[in-house]
Amino acid sequence: MTRAALAIGLIAASAWAVATFPRSVLVFLLFQGSLLHAYLAPIPRWLRVALLAAALLVLMPVIGAYNGYYLEVATQVGIFVALALGLNIVVGLAGLLDLGYVAFFAVGAYSWAIFGSPHANLIFGGGFPLAAGWFWAFLVVGLLVAAGAGVLLGLPVLRLRGDYLAIVTLGFGEVIRVLANNLDKPINITNGPKGITPISRPPVPFDVSYAEAFYFLVLAIVGVVILVNRRLEDSHVGRAWEAIREDELAAQAMGVPLVRSKLLAFACGASFAGVMGVVFSAKQVFINPESFTFLESIGVLAMVILGGMGSIPGAVVGATVVTVLNLQVLKGLSLWLNELKNAGVTVFGLSLADLPTQLEPAKYERMIFGMILVLMMIFRPQGIFPVRRRARELAGKS
Amino acid sequence: MTTALFEARGVTKRFGGLTALHQVDFVLDRGIASIIGPNGAGKTTLFNIFTGLYAADEGGVAFQGRPLLGLRPDQITALGVCRTFQNIRLFANMTALENVLVGMHARIGLRVWDVLARAPRFHQTEAALQARAVALLERVGLRGDPNAVARNLPYGDQRRLEIARALAAGPALLLLDEPTAGMTQGEAGELMGLLRALVADLGLALILIEHNMRVVMEVSDRVTVLDHGEKIAEGPPREVQADPRVIEAYLGTAARQRRPRAAR
Amino acid sequence: MDVPLLIGIFPQVLLDGLILGFMYALIALGYTMVYGVLEFINFAHSEIFIVGAFVGVEILLGLKGAGWLESLPWPLVLLLLLVAAMTVSGLLAVTVERVAYRPLRSAPRLIPLISAIGVSFFLQDLIRLVESVWRNAFNLVYPTLDALNHRFELTETLDVSVKSLVVIVAALAMLWVLHMLVNRTKIGTAVRAVAEDQAAASLMGIDVNRIISLTFLIGGAMGGAAGVLFGVQYGLINPYSGFIPGLKAFTAAVLGGIGNIPGAMVGGIVLGLLEAFAASYLGLLTGGAFGAEYKDIFAFSVLILILVFRPKGLLGEIVRERA
Repeated sequence: MTRAALAIGLIAASAWAVATFPRSVLVFLLFQGSLLHAYLAPIPRWLRVALLAAALLVLMPVIGAYNGYYLEVATQVGIFVALALGLNIVVGLAGLLDLGYVAFFAVGAYSWAIFGSPHANLIFGGGFPLAAGWFWAFLVVGLLVAAGAGVLLGLPVLRLRGDYLAIVTLGFGEVIRVLANNLDKPINITNGPKGITPISRPPVPFDVSYAEAFYFLVLAIVGVVILVNRRLEDSHVGRAWEAIREDELAAQAMGVPLVRSKLLAFACGASFAGVMGVVFSAKQVFINPESFTFLESIGVLAMVILGGMGSIPGAVVGATVVTVLNLQVLKGLSLWLNELKNAGVTVFGLSLADLPTQLEPAKYERMIFGMILVLMMIFRPQGIFPVRRRARELAGKS
Repeated sequence: MTTALFEARGVTKRFGGLTALHQVDFVLDRGIASIIGPNGAGKTTLFNIFTGLYAADEGGVAFQGRPLLGLRPDQITALGVCRTFQNIRLFANMTALENVLVGMHARIGLRVWDVLARAPRFHQTEAALQARAVALLERVGLRGDPNAVARNLPYGDQRRLEIARALAAGPALLLLDEPTAGMTQGEAGELMGLLRALVADLGLALILIEHNMRVVMEVSDRVTVLDHGEKIAEGPPREVQADPRVIEAYLGTAARQRRPRAAR
Repeated sequence: MDVPLLIGIFPQVLLDGLILGFMYALIALGYTMVYGVLEFINFAHSEIFIVGAFVGVEILLGLKGAGWLESLPWPLVLLLLLVAAMTVSGLLAVTVERVAYRPLRSAPRLIPLISAIGVSFFLQDLIRLVESVWRNAFNLVYPTLDALNHRFELTETLDVSVKSLVVIVAALAMLWVLHMLVNRTKIGTAVRAVAEDQAAASLMGIDVNRIISLTFLIGGAMGGAAGVLFGVQYGLINPYSGFIPGLKAFTAAVLGGIGNIPGAMVGGIVLGLLEAFAASYLGLLTGGAFGAEYKDIFAFSVLILILVFRPKGLLGEIVRERA
């Protein structure tokens, strides 16, 4: 009873706090923490579901109505949760280290960006953008195109051993980035570094703001992605992936078709990224190659590693922590530092205003990703929420 | 003339300058056949060729009349030839039950769509698979908990689990690579009882690689002897045991000279 | 197609390719030696390399600020840069191995690789941090040394700068030293022994950990030297400049045969030539549709093709026997 009261109380209190202190990063983190607590606390299942549903479906949108920034953060988190879940299938379940995952995200994003904006007129002469309603069809188009790209990439490279596979996928990711940057001639497909804009957004019912609409859309897609993940995991498909990860040779001898299974993992992982790519481009209205670099691929990898390879709650938590770190904590640190500088604060007799202007915490994402990866590998390779099998696997090897 | 269940003719395999197998013939129709020979004779290499892990340089292998050369290991398993490994290669962090379920992969007719949509067909199939896996574990005499993680099972159980996993795909021919390695005579005897029961109940044919001579003599219908990649003897166990060439291969020329009498 | 033009630029392209190739060869050595000994891709090697470039630029800027740059003979300056960079990079490589890779030596193969990626990213921003605090800038320009920029005209269409020659000579010298070290000294034999069979080498009394550290030291030093040469040759560096050359140098190492030291050299030169030709000719041949900006894709395509069709590389890989 007290547990339940604690869970409810935490959520309610932090939600109120967010409403009262709309600019405090710390308070918003508390709110997210209260959600995590509700997920983990030993409370009856109905209560857990009810609390999380209330928080995600009611509280969050209401907070968002008052403070668009938090809604934006929550939506971004959702997008990366889906990406992390996709990469989770490839890296965590099948054990294939894909370092170029962002390429599938890019492919999905550009597919809607090109046809959902006037840009396609440059290629076809006229008739674009497609009516905004086409967005929903393109969710499927993006999925299929990305899955196709996954299969195309996978076919030649899946026979390679693990570290070579990693480097080749990295190369593929870079190829996609360079292509995005340079395919503006002879035919202007991607418009190069200038990017594509304006990208149409889907029509929204009931006078809801776009921010809220996208939040719910992302939430819905994440729900589907989680469902698909679990169903695959809990089937002969998931068992085959595990077996491949454990001992590829034995798996094949037992009747598991290696190439087909790995391709399926690649295609599934890629398709999630593709769908989210379409959503991303519609949400941002503007995309350019800068959003699809190696940094993003490693960022998603860091999320999966942090949360726990192969673990669905792990991917969710990992994505949340890393996105919040980047979007809120680092940025907040930058802002805070600036405020201190402007206020002329001194530390140990040195005025902070004298700090080099180039020093901006918000830009140090790479350092964060790097530390996460190294520290997790050394101290807790199974992640924060390990799949029970992974925990055994990695405990056994030490 | 009906084709034999399993027929290998003229199998030759070279690794660089080394000829691991030279013109080996092997035919089996039913029952239990053992392949023996000193270390390095090429026994496991032969198994690897039979199951598609290696490609033979010369010769052909056919199962139920179908040529096997060029097929992948998972395709050969699907046709009905399954194996275990010399060093235990279980999926260490999966449970015993899951290990067996993986073995059934080739026989599962579900599509990805069935899995995603959780059609009734999916639930029925999964339930049937689980039941069959439990039954298989019982049949091989697994003493541990089916939900125990494979790496935590005692050694004898691990060997039995390997056999259960190999049986999961419902093979007509089972290849066992040193199934009694590391076992006491008592355990080996138990395993032999199990193998005889499997052959009798399931109509399996069995090819064993073995070093335990007592097991070989007790359980085999026929013994084939390899040495330096060549077949040097083949026949009922007693005959092979007394064959001077076999003795020489195992114990050296001096041993043969000490037993001047020819095979009885 | 302007054939005379295509032929005319050929010698210059060839020279550019060689210079690029030697640079890749030097960086590739670090990858190939570590892979030969540990079967592990030291992803952070690209940052070890660029740290060398930063050491060089800091020394040069320091000398310039003190007014000594003009008065010192340029070979001395260059030697100073190389020694300093090799020392710092080598020690950094050893430290990274101790801290981030050694604890993971018995883990499944992908674990140390992920750690290496983490180290790479961490170092990039660490360099940025250090330079931001020290100099409030991290996009740095190498001060020019007039003597180095002096260009010789070999023919009408071909000229070569002193610094290009310096790069080639320095690279050759270092490759020769490495060759002697690995093949003619006792310690080189120990390295080769560890590369082939760690357990056996250890039974023979070789301290495997020490040899591994030494391998990182040498590979890191080569990378650091390459960093100085890179800075001298191209002039502009930032903390993220190491990533692409590192990836290409790894491609070169695989192209030549991973673990194979002469292979790294061959692979580096071949890749450098391929890239220079792609950069110069691609634009001319396609009428501007696909130009020099695609040269990176070229290198990545080579990587993908090699790994898929001939993973042993041109000269054959030298990696441990599998048990």
